[in-house]
Amino acid sequence: MLGLDYSWLADPAYQRWLLIGVVNTLKLAALSSSAAILIGMLGALGFTLRIFWLDALIELFVEVFRNTPPLLQMLFAYFTLSTLGLRVTDPSTGLSVPLLSAFACAAISLSLFGGALAIEAFRSGIETMPRSIVDAARSLGYGRWARFWRIEAPIATRICLPGLTNILTNLFKTTSQASVITVPELMYYAGQIYNDTFRTLEVMILVLLIYVALVSILTLAMARLEAFMAFPGYGRGL
Amino acid sequence: MSRIEALIELDNVRKSFGDFEVLKGISMFVQKGEAVCIIGPSGSGKSTILRCINGLFPIDEGFIRVGTHRVHELKSDKAMRSLRHQVAMVFQQYNLFPHRTALQNIMMAPIQVLGHDRAEVEERARKLLKKVRLSEKADSYPGQLSGGQQQRVAIARALAMQPEVILFDEVTAALDPETVKDVLFAIRELVEEGLTCILVTHEMKFAREVSQRVCFTDHGLIVESAPPAELFDNPQDPRTREFLGQVL
Repeated sequence: MLGLDYSWLADPAYQRWLLIGVVNTLKLAALSSSAAILIGMLGALGFTLRIFWLDALIELFVEVFRNTPPLLQMLFAYFTLSTLGLRVTDPSTGLSVPLLSAFACAAISLSLFGGALAIEAFRSGIETMPRSIVDAARSLGYGRWARFWRIEAPIATRICLPGLTNILTNLFKTTSQASVITVPELMYYAGQIYNDTFRTLEVMILVLLIYVALVSILTLAMARLEAFMAFPGYGRGL
Repeated sequence: MSRIEALIELDNVRKSFGDFEVLKGISMFVQKGEAVCIIGPSGSGKSTILRCINGLFPIDEGFIRVGTHRVHELKSDKAMRSLRHQVAMVFQQYNLFPHRTALQNIMMAPIQVLGHDRAEVEERARKLLKKVRLSEKADSYPGQLSGGQQQRVAIARALAMQPEVILFDEVTAALDPETVKDVLFAIRELVEEGLTCILVTHEMKFAREVSQRVCFTDHGLIVESAPPAELFDNPQDPRTREFLGQVL
């Protein structure tokens, strides 16, 4: 069919590359997603404190990382962080290597990019909170922190989950850009394989299917989480 | 009534939102066990008085005391924790926490804020649900309850804090006429048990029946304050007469 040739896929070397690629993609996505959620929560929490200079700082962070291309951010992180001169001696080889690997630079830059978007998602959840719910919590004696963790965060999380799903799927797909700074993830090995085999179309179709499968798992998991967190009167809760 | 005896004392309280002065010098006393209704036209500052008493709104000028708490001197929610233990509030829009069941709504604050024992709080919460005749709704979420049912859960939630005072802020204004009586019934019971209550209300008949004293507010001032029979049947101030003429 279409003259597609997948005989290269029988080669154990290519199988291994694909496997390592998938594992590294998952690692990068898991790491940067977790960090992005954490940054998002801290940033949104920061906004609730209503401290003038903190608001300005978070705003600046969000604007910078939301309004520039993630690829540029990644290259920027790679070429600045790796030239800071931070080096450590690898205990196994005795060689001096940069403290921050390409993988670390990619993870940091993706975390910041995702974090900026997540701050806005969480903020939307907190700011749609009816003022009256906050009044009720205060009148029951809840202080600022208890109110945030016990009441605002659980309700806000429910409200911002669809937005967060968007951000996490986008972040997952953006990990492919780490191939540009030599992070050996799926896209990087895909390039290696088609440079070797010249089977560009076949490799791209396969990689596309792998991404569809992986991202579908993520969106399915998020849909399950949404259903789990649903409560009556909001969204799909009955 | 002397100032010392009063459980709640407001003296010349002023409060503005931007350029608009809502309270222009409110002074009132409430004794322990007294039920006081505040009536008056919309925008006359009724709800604002309640929110100042439990510290939800900081005041610009004046003096507020509840028990031993000098409310106007408390600056943070943390500093007000003990005040909020003593003074509970029930809102027009119920304001139950939508992500928790009726029973959990009642149990949350006593456990999380007051640090009371969970088993003891659950027993207390179930008793209160029974008291507001909603035992069978313990595991329902607010979104599954009618307005009247939500409001009765909100009353139970306020009572679970074991307060000395409850502030009711137009608690029947958002309800269907047929559910209003269930809520008023629950409040009437509390008043008869001797709980100190301040009620902002538009239910004139209820105010007349349940309260020991009625305050009429207009344009940020308490115009007239008297026992209900006196205020409703023989109002002294022309503004009170005009208002009562419109609503009765």
